[in-house]
Amino acid sequence: MGNKFIRAISAEEIAPGGMKTVELAGREIVICNCSGTYYAIQRRCGHMNAPLELGTLDGKYVTCGMHCAQFDITTGQALSGPVPTDLGNERLPPRVAAMMHKVAMQMQHVRTEGIRTYETKVEAGWVLVGQ
Amino acid sequence: MKTESRKEALQYFFAKVVGPMNFKFTPDVELKNFLLEQEVILEAKHGISFCPCQPIRHDRARDMQIVCPCIPFHREHFDAIKRCWCGLFVHIDVIDPNSLPQLPPKDVGLG
Repeated sequence: MGNKFIRAISAEEIAPGGMKTVELAGREIVICNCSGTYYAIQRRCGHMNAPLELGTLDGKYVTCGMHCAQFDITTGQALSGPVPTDLGNERLPPRVAAMMHKVAMQMQHVRTEGIRTYETKVEAGWVLVGQ
Repeated sequence: MKTESRKEALQYFFAKVVGPMNFKFTPDVELKNFLLEQEVILEAKHGISFCPCQPIRHDRARDMQIVCPCIPFHREHFDAIKRCWCGLFVHIDVIDPNSLPQLPPKDVGLG
């Protein structure tokens, strides 16, 4: 079955290694320029929904800027979960420590899921994204 | 998360770090695959790809010195023995990693 493509963005708007968010048919999508090849991924991180375009793109790997979960933009596969934060030897006020403990208890049940990818093609200088 | 995909990603990122330090992955492919797999397991457990041959002591300052690739933290020793402790990385000019002796720091004039 043929896929319907929507014009998303001018190809020259994203430099190699860059990412840009677009909204297409009510979906938030990040277009990634991986050495001249364009990939489209869902905007929200598979860990805690942070916007992925605020992270970094290195080759075909996007790293979320919030907790450093990593994904393969060609497949959407989750490659790693969050990197643990370090509070060092800082002693938190008891109420803050109790809240952090509660958050940690809940966070341990958060799974990092893969992200959705979309088909792309470039035509006449435009990046088109499949629906 | 799939181990093979994560191994591929770790290789990609590690190569960028160790190359400028004149190190490369060991030419022993079996060993490389085994060690990377162990790192993927450690990362899944601890969130960080620690060196598979070093104990985690839950002392943040010390544990950060065994995050792979740990070459910058032990550069003098690794430069002297032309490999890292677990053998995942060897000096760029090493062809036969099995010929490299594993010497403690004191035997190469360190520590």
